[in-house]
Amino acid sequence: MLFSSIPFLFYFLPAVILTYFLVPRQLKNGVLLLASLFFYGWGEPRYLILMVFSIAMFYGCGLAIAKCSQKKWKRFWLVVSVVVSVTMLGIFKYADFFVSSFNAVTGLSVPMLRLALPIGISFYTFQCLSYTIDVYRGNVPAQKNPISFGAYVALFPQLIAGPIVRYVDVARELESRTHSWDNVAVGLRRFLVGLGKKILIADNFALLMKLFRESGEQSVLFYWMYAIAFTLNIYFDFSGYSDMAIGLGRVFGFHFIENFNYPYLSKSIGEFWRRWHMSLGSWFRDYIYIPLGGNRVSKWRWVLNTFAVWMLTGLWHGAAWNFVLWGVMFGVLLLVEKWVPALQKLPVLLRRAYVLLLVVISFVLFNAESISQAGSDLAAMFGFGGLPLVTAETVYYLKSYIVLFLVGIVGATPVVRDLARKLENTTVGAVLEPVLMIGILLVCTGYLVDGSFSPFLYFRF
Amino acid sequence: MQNKKIRAIGAGVLAAVWLCLTGFAWFSQPKASSDAERRPLEQMPQLSVDTVLDGSFMKDFESYSLDQFPLRDSFRQVKSLFHYYGLQQKDNNDIYLADGYAAKLEYPLNQTSVDYAVSRFQRLYEKYLLDSGCKVYMAAVPDKGYYLAEENGYLAMDYEAMFAAFRQALPWAQWIDLTDSLDTGCYYRTDTHWRQEKLLGAAGKLCQAMGVTPPAAEDYTQTAIERPFYGVYYGQAALPMEPETMYIMESQLLSGCKVTVEMAKKTQVYDMEQLGSKDLYDVFLSGSKSFVTIENPNAQTDRELVIFRDSFGSSIAPLLVQGYKTVTLVDIRYINMETLSMLMDFHGQDVLLLYSTLVLNNSSTIK
Repeated sequence: MLFSSIPFLFYFLPAVILTYFLVPRQLKNGVLLLASLFFYGWGEPRYLILMVFSIAMFYGCGLAIAKCSQKKWKRFWLVVSVVVSVTMLGIFKYADFFVSSFNAVTGLSVPMLRLALPIGISFYTFQCLSYTIDVYRGNVPAQKNPISFGAYVALFPQLIAGPIVRYVDVARELESRTHSWDNVAVGLRRFLVGLGKKILIADNFALLMKLFRESGEQSVLFYWMYAIAFTLNIYFDFSGYSDMAIGLGRVFGFHFIENFNYPYLSKSIGEFWRRWHMSLGSWFRDYIYIPLGGNRVSKWRWVLNTFAVWMLTGLWHGAAWNFVLWGVMFGVLLLVEKWVPALQKLPVLLRRAYVLLLVVISFVLFNAESISQAGSDLAAMFGFGGLPLVTAETVYYLKSYIVLFLVGIVGATPVVRDLARKLENTTVGAVLEPVLMIGILLVCTGYLVDGSFSPFLYFRF
Repeated sequence: MQNKKIRAIGAGVLAAVWLCLTGFAWFSQPKASSDAERRPLEQMPQLSVDTVLDGSFMKDFESYSLDQFPLRDSFRQVKSLFHYYGLQQKDNNDIYLADGYAAKLEYPLNQTSVDYAVSRFQRLYEKYLLDSGCKVYMAAVPDKGYYLAEENGYLAMDYEAMFAAFRQALPWAQWIDLTDSLDTGCYYRTDTHWRQEKLLGAAGKLCQAMGVTPPAAEDYTQTAIERPFYGVYYGQAALPMEPETMYIMESQLLSGCKVTVEMAKKTQVYDMEQLGSKDLYDVFLSGSKSFVTIENPNAQTDRELVIFRDSFGSSIAPLLVQGYKTVTLVDIRYINMETLSMLMDFHGQDVLLLYSTLVLNNSSTIK
């Protein structure tokens, strides 16, 4: 079920919120677990069993790690949880990628599995891994209540597209959390902001991208419009989803970590990754990069570690070579930034410009169907595609989308947030806020009813 | 404190709006069809273990919830207004407004479609017309975009290239150019079609080219149809537009004509049974039908006309009748051209290929 859908907004969510607040405190996690399983089963009824297995397996491993007194047995159960979950990811997400790559190299034709990707498998697997690793490290006690643990794993607000909420961050709130009208109001406001970002901005950019791909009159300018449109589309889509997840969490009394912090204002690639999908970046840092030795190793080992982490980051995003290349590209850029300190001495404007240019290029690679398409897209952007600079169609769509581009560019900066903060304690702000929120709800509903199907980009990960 | 109170009240109002919509969504009676969109609406899907396991229940429920959402048309209008005026998009669902007319973006020229249409017309000529003694004419009906798009800054296909392609590829058909006998006012504001009461010029041009008496304005009475006409773009654009009045051109000659629809139904030129139809344009010769004949018992001539046509032909054909004993309308989108010999033969009639640029640019429906 999509957040940006009529069944979610006007059937599922109101029913869950009402039920949740009507039942006594001790049943609230049970309501969340049942609602989350229903939410997951709505899109993937056959994969519900996979979700239930994951809950049971990680719950059991967590308890076993906590109960064993000997280090080797603790490690054994940790390895079991890692191996089983990585195997599941391998089978459902990566098997066909490896088989097709193997076939391409060897010329053989090993049959592919062609399994549908279970929604959100990368997100909930990483969440569960953080749980067993943290229990193993002694950072957090194992959860004894299977309902509470199930509610954590399957929690529908962040189940399918993050942020990757670590168990340690919500362990206390799973047991005891505050419910208030204020939490509900703040949570719904955050949810509606995210809904607006997704439906009003991201989906309209997606429409332009579709028009670009269908066009028979592409031009250099149209390619750049496409690249910038996707850069804004993926930001508003994913950060919009994160806003919705964080807002819904707040409604139910949870405080999830932030996932975005205006990444397009970054002055270096390193800073970009500290502002973009922060929950994934910190997960890789804490559970892969630092255990590998981080930067406290020899130079060549450090280079190797960096590439390993960024290749995995690329692969996490998708089982295709363009994602691997996308990850490696960032690995290379980060190494260059480390080795060329002069880059950090450039004027701020120039640093922001180079980060933006590289990010736009990286997203063209990210969104391509294949490496060859990425190559031809990039060649066309830089005038090597034999295309005219501009066509009548390009001018038409530029005129048609210029306001959306301006909204997207301004919305990717803290301008709106700062304005909202300025108005926060004024009467005008107090009146404007609900008016704006009701407006967003109604316009978004209009878009949904008018009806194009618009899946979240990060569902495939 | 005051602001906190206002904020709490605001949040309460938001929650109340949300809950009201939820209540209506859950408990309002499902509607059978949408007038604005001219289509049946999804009904509640069947719930069973099979439909849940194969995911079809969920998929169908999504469609149901979208179709049956309370105030659906108003919400679509809210979206269109935001899209069109808020985001300043030049079109909404490919429909744009210019000079008070709603029109569809028809761009670019689809050469594959033009080639396909040419190949079907060539086949028609070779199979039926080549040695039949028929005189063949062709006219393309420009869509509204021909007059509206370019001068209002919208994308316009290369109409001249399309016309040239047909003139060049079909040398056996005499080309009749209708572009100078029409203008924007000849079309409905909310629909694709042209207005019959504005077609005397175009009909006259066709008659002149085919050597028959053109329609004379004084022979007709313009009669308004009482039911308001909501054209196809009215629903698609979902923008605030007024419904229109449809007029039919009545005459003594037309009252005496007998119409046979698909070899079965006997009716009049203006089929008033269709007044209740979803598309009021069906009043003209019963709408989209594969094979229609008009017999004109008061004809002063034995000449016959066969029109291969799309829906634009339904409203102009009555204005061509005065010059012919019979007019046969064939829509080869609904009937296989190869089986046409079972319904009629060709023996020296006038044959007119009359197609709108909309169909010629999207011709895959021609059989």
